[in-house]
Amino acid sequence: MRLSGQLVPFTSLLFLYCSLTVSALKTGDWKTCSQSAFCRRGRALAGRAKEAGANWKSPYAIEPTSVVVAADEAAFSAAVKSSIYPDITFKLDLQVLDDGVVRVRMDEVDGLRQRYNEASNWALNSEPSVSKQIEWTVGKGDVRAVYGAKKDISVVVNFSPLKITLLRGGKEEIVLNGEGLLHLEHFRNKAEPPPAPTEVPEEGLDGEEEAQQVMEVNSASSWFEGEPDGYWEESFLSWTDKKPKGPESLSLDINFPRHGHVYGIPQHATGLSLPTTTGEDSFFDEPYRLFNADVFEYLASSPMSLYGSIPLMYAHSASSTVGVFHVVGSESWIDVAHPKDGSTNTHWVSESGILDTFLLPGPTPEDVFAQYARLTGTPVLPAHWALGYHQCRWNYVSSDDVRSVQQRFDEEDFPVDVFWLDIEYSEEHKYFIWDKKNFPDPVDMTQDVEKIARKMVVIIDPHLKRTQDYPVYKEASELGILVKPSSGEGEYEGWCWSGSSSWVDFFNPGSWDWWKKLFKTTPQENGFSWIDSTESVGIWNDMNEPSVFNGPEISMPRDNVHYGGWEHRDVHNINGMLFSNQTWQALLARSNPPKRPFVLTRSFFAGSQRFGAMWTGDNMGTWEHMAVGIKMVLANNLGGMSFSGSDVGGFFGNPEPEMLVRWYEVGAFGPFFRAHAHIDTKRREPYLLDEPYKSIIRDVLRLRYKLLPMWYTAFRETSVTGIPILRPQFVMFPKDEAGFAIDDQYYIGSSGLLVKPVTEKGATEATVYLGEKQAYYDYFTSHIHRGNQKNITVKAELHQIPLFIRGGSIIPTRERPRRSSPLMKMDPFTLRVALDDQRKARGELYLDDGETFAHEQGNFVWREFKAEASKKGKGITLSSLDLAAARPSDAVDGKALSEYRGTNDFAASVSPVKVERIVVLGLGGKPTSVSTDSGAPLEWDYYDGVAAVGKKEGVASILTIKNPGVSVSSDWNIVIE
Amino acid sequence: MFSSLFPLFLLPCVAVGALEKTHGVHPSNVAKYQVTTKGTWTCLDGSRELAWSSVNDDYCDCPDGSDEPGTSACANGTFYCRNDGHIGMSIRSSRVNDGLCEPECCDGSDEQPGVCPNLCVEIGEAYRQKMEAEMKTRRTGAKIRSTYISFAAKEKKRLEDLVATLTREVESQESEVARLQDILDRTESISAADLEFKKQSPLFESLTEHHFALKSLKREHEKLKEKEKILADILSALRGGYNPNYQDMAVLEAVRGWEEYAGLSHGDAQNEEGDDNAENSEEGKEEAEEELEEGMWSAGRLDYDLDRLINVDHVNLLLEHDKHIGDETTKSVLFDLSSYLPDLLLPQYELVRDYIVSMLETFGVARGNRDITADTSKARSAHQNAENDLRHKRNDKDDAEQELASLFDPEWFGRDGVWKKLDELCLEKDTGEYTYEICLFGEARQKPNKSAQTFSLGKFKHWNNAPGVEVGSPEYYSKQYYKGGVRCWNGPERSVTLSLTCGTENALHTVTEPEKCEYHITGTSPALCLPLEGKAPSAKKEEL
Repeated sequence: MRLSGQLVPFTSLLFLYCSLTVSALKTGDWKTCSQSAFCRRGRALAGRAKEAGANWKSPYAIEPTSVVVAADEAAFSAAVKSSIYPDITFKLDLQVLDDGVVRVRMDEVDGLRQRYNEASNWALNSEPSVSKQIEWTVGKGDVRAVYGAKKDISVVVNFSPLKITLLRGGKEEIVLNGEGLLHLEHFRNKAEPPPAPTEVPEEGLDGEEEAQQVMEVNSASSWFEGEPDGYWEESFLSWTDKKPKGPESLSLDINFPRHGHVYGIPQHATGLSLPTTTGEDSFFDEPYRLFNADVFEYLASSPMSLYGSIPLMYAHSASSTVGVFHVVGSESWIDVAHPKDGSTNTHWVSESGILDTFLLPGPTPEDVFAQYARLTGTPVLPAHWALGYHQCRWNYVSSDDVRSVQQRFDEEDFPVDVFWLDIEYSEEHKYFIWDKKNFPDPVDMTQDVEKIARKMVVIIDPHLKRTQDYPVYKEASELGILVKPSSGEGEYEGWCWSGSSSWVDFFNPGSWDWWKKLFKTTPQENGFSWIDSTESVGIWNDMNEPSVFNGPEISMPRDNVHYGGWEHRDVHNINGMLFSNQTWQALLARSNPPKRPFVLTRSFFAGSQRFGAMWTGDNMGTWEHMAVGIKMVLANNLGGMSFSGSDVGGFFGNPEPEMLVRWYEVGAFGPFFRAHAHIDTKRREPYLLDEPYKSIIRDVLRLRYKLLPMWYTAFRETSVTGIPILRPQFVMFPKDEAGFAIDDQYYIGSSGLLVKPVTEKGATEATVYLGEKQAYYDYFTSHIHRGNQKNITVKAELHQIPLFIRGGSIIPTRERPRRSSPLMKMDPFTLRVALDDQRKARGELYLDDGETFAHEQGNFVWREFKAEASKKGKGITLSSLDLAAARPSDAVDGKALSEYRGTNDFAASVSPVKVERIVVLGLGGKPTSVSTDSGAPLEWDYYDGVAAVGKKEGVASILTIKNPGVSVSSDWNIVIE
Repeated sequence: MFSSLFPLFLLPCVAVGALEKTHGVHPSNVAKYQVTTKGTWTCLDGSRELAWSSVNDDYCDCPDGSDEPGTSACANGTFYCRNDGHIGMSIRSSRVNDGLCEPECCDGSDEQPGVCPNLCVEIGEAYRQKMEAEMKTRRTGAKIRSTYISFAAKEKKRLEDLVATLTREVESQESEVARLQDILDRTESISAADLEFKKQSPLFESLTEHHFALKSLKREHEKLKEKEKILADILSALRGGYNPNYQDMAVLEAVRGWEEYAGLSHGDAQNEEGDDNAENSEEGKEEAEEELEEGMWSAGRLDYDLDRLINVDHVNLLLEHDKHIGDETTKSVLFDLSSYLPDLLLPQYELVRDYIVSMLETFGVARGNRDITADTSKARSAHQNAENDLRHKRNDKDDAEQELASLFDPEWFGRDGVWKKLDELCLEKDTGEYTYEICLFGEARQKPNKSAQTFSLGKFKHWNNAPGVEVGSPEYYSKQYYKGGVRCWNGPERSVTLSLTCGTENALHTVTEPEKCEYHITGTSPALCLPLEGKAPSAKKEEL
């Protein structure tokens, strides 16, 4: 969150005075590639290679004699030399993991310094398990391994030049250093003379210039490395980076010769299928940048970096999906080009760090997601209430304000689960310390919210106000756990909300227990603890890029020093994750037994999905931002961050009612659903709107709550499988080329729900692409559409959301409006059975207590609902089966239960919960009877409409079974004849 | 009120189905829940006929929700709690069986038996006490309110008397002005031709031109001063109101630039005490530095004397000028004879003299260089003074009439003038950092407690004119709007919504700023304590 008007000259004051939201993005505040020395060098390297064409050859090669293959696992190491620096040695390590993922590591050996080699420690969930079965074979010119169920995958590591290729069926899928752009700039001394003098060119330049050229350029390295450029110091605006370690950048080309689409590397405000950045007619001029940054009023289409970075890219074609996870914590730039249709070249340049790259062989989207999830973890299962609606604003100004907002929600009967407090709750922005003038009774206030089974989320930022009367700062200072300036001594001081501030160094293990102590709600012997809070309060971690108002690119100087002597440049992109990680750990330790923490972070890295939710930061209240927000959330989902969303309404600006309504319709179909607003905006809580907008939003909120069982079931699935909750077309239909670039509609989990949120002003219709020959039922009208790889056009007036049930799905909902989601716990279910063209359907339902870890001990309900065509006649049998008993080891993330007791405490507590209604869509005709399998007749109602089987379109036939008298958590059968 | 959620002994759905058919039905509708001889029942909206068993079976059949008065099955239904011992109330169906004991249902009937205790005896008692306290406040307040009404009546009398007096005074002054006009006309008519001639003097023409130039310059100067003041107000507001912690460089730069320009001290702009001193000494320094050329006016003198210069009666000046020149040259006894005549004879003499002189002039014997000056100028100023006096009296009369009109204007002091007593009554609320002051029907202000500065939050504009609120209704007088205060940095003009309720004192209670620069202040006033109508309500309560 930033104030508007950053760095506006005095002369524009009058202009500012006239318009409310004035200054847009100051692109000049952030670097372009040409303003970043190592990116400049990286692009120049690529340029020289391109110019040289076929004559270009990577200087890196494996010393054949150095290859050492491990005896008991699929690992080998080898020495690598670069012909331009013969005295420098690199070590290459290759591993094939259990699931066929290939890990490539390379580092300088015995160099002047150590490259940063800890990024994977933070990103990976655990040390990957190296295969014991797969074997490396050393040949004359390469080392290779062949594996896979059909022995169709091979990894080939060529010696000279060094090249690493992953092949499937003998065809190249991923190629590293195929273009010869691999380069690890070795550590050197500043005065280091040019290595190995070489022949002076025949036609030299004149005079002094010539002498200089000879000194610096005409060395064995210059054809490859170019001239020294910004090696030892570089300036940007008023900041100078001293770069005491000199050049240490990492360049690597990664090609996907058989894949025409690449996705991932969030987060950027751009299309899901990444547009090109180089090559002819490239969409962008600049490379995609990964450098966590607090970008004020960001552009709705740009490769600029934003708040979080996940160096993970998927490449996709109709034949396969593969992935690359390039574990680097420093600033990185990625160029994307399509040298020809159906193939993709990428070039990755990072400021520092070792090469540590995972090749994910796929070959299906689900496989790649699982492979990535095995490395960095699956999204953690959130508390159930966190899937409800979150109401936020900068700021609710007092405890009475919070109470009255809650009261208004209840008076107007809008469901909401969470009320949020932004930074103004705190005294002088000393987080944890309440501004008692406006919040005299924080615990009472929180409990008033909890009385309606709701929660509060309160912001804690990472900058600590440097005053001795702030115990949190004082303790951190005394413990010596604050980030240090470039000198490596004392405390770095910068400016943020709290004025002069310092930052906790969460890389320092000494900060971890201390951070846990702060969140305890009871007095602690060893200092401050947050007794003015309750054990149910969630935490919002903002500004953790870190945002530093007076720092370069609104962040920390790169030569600041972290624990272990690492420079900030080495860990910059990881920094934000450690903050939400430690907050997560602290909330986990806050209560006994522990409750599932809720932590929202703005900055993130690979692995952040283990610690909660993220949002797309400070978006603007424009239609463009609403639309790109969907693409960003989809990209974050692919990056593992399924629990993500964009601020409903837009952070900046005052959305008109139509835009606000549409934004609620977008938000209600995102995993994380929060409305937020800047301090300069008008209040826009939904109850403040006039009709019809108010009632439309009430209906949208209620729809979200009705669908919570579906959402929670989807979250369980991703927490176990890592398959994103929001699934774009290419994930659902990986062979349907027409869907690969579609990024404005998506499926939710495995539910079979397809949504296309409307993001155009004045829209009354929407086109939706249907990627298969199957009946799609309009969720609201039950109208059957049949697209079969074509667009359909549907009504999309302001109150209409294009939402469809894919034929063959069963959607569990809870239809009774309640004030908050925990109050729905004992409410009965409705099952919507949307038959497919084989007259069958299936769906799942997962339930647990929603807030503790009791599910890890088997306290949950996991059901499968099925509709099957009778063997004879036109009948259908509906049944409820115990998935938990059938697949106990797949039920809970990280806990392979060996058995499931249907009588567990949770299941017992919900045993009275019934199914109140079953709606069967698409029957071929009016049933003659509907009864339980024991023969007891049931009450039902039939509307004669279009059948799932056949080619007709129109309103489907609807059979409504009233109060079938079955429990949601027990086995049953219902026979329709 | 938050009971332990969902006890395990919750009855299964079969038991729910066995609910009494009238469970949750409002007493006025109980009679409508009767089974027909066919064993059916019709939704209250008449839309559907159902099996009697469908009523309260925890499944919504009726579009109006009427078949499920006792469950949460219908999203649009209501549930009635009898609350024996207290007052029966209706709640939304969505509140039924949600595990929470609704405060509106003190009998606990909104949840399954055993979930919520019956608290109606205690709650009823507390309610009666609260109502009694409220009644007491209202009674006391209403007494005070009645004094406001009598005050308004007295004001009415006073203003009416005042208007009557002023009307008389205006009338008499009007005739005085008419008399003086007559004298002036006569004096002037004699000299008009002469004056016209004099006015053609290049000196006079130049003077006239100077006059207009000066007047125009002044107008432009005032405009610039006005603009500068607006800018200064904006910048002072920014300086006083911005949050230095936000490190918004543009704001800081603006504040520092302003401080330098206005000679204010740097540093903590919100610590105004030091600044005031700095301002004073700074001003003194500036004045000392300013050296004036010979004859030039100081800025202060310009402020005070320019108007005098512009408002000089040029005709008079012309006449005086003549007189002055005449003094220099030889004086005709004839022209100057008046000096020697006794006052008593003067008018006659003047008439005769004027006649003679004009005759002489007509025949070209004498040029009109006579002393007409003293006489016209005297008549002119006498007339002007009288006219000024008349204008003042008329203004006073208009004011009094307007005050009288607003006294019983429902959109101002109310039909019975009850608010008149509170006109310009200033109420304050200290919130720690700021003191908020509202002078009712005047201006609202925000005063930082650490500085002498004040920010206008706007002037009284209107009562609660929201759609649907009837002018003159109690709801209408429950809100006052003050608008057009100092504009906020990057925001709107400051404004205040003052919400008032009945109380025995005129006081402000809370101040909030839900949106930037839009203040919500709550307060009480006896003016809102309407007299209790009869004793029926309280008597009814006693019976419960």
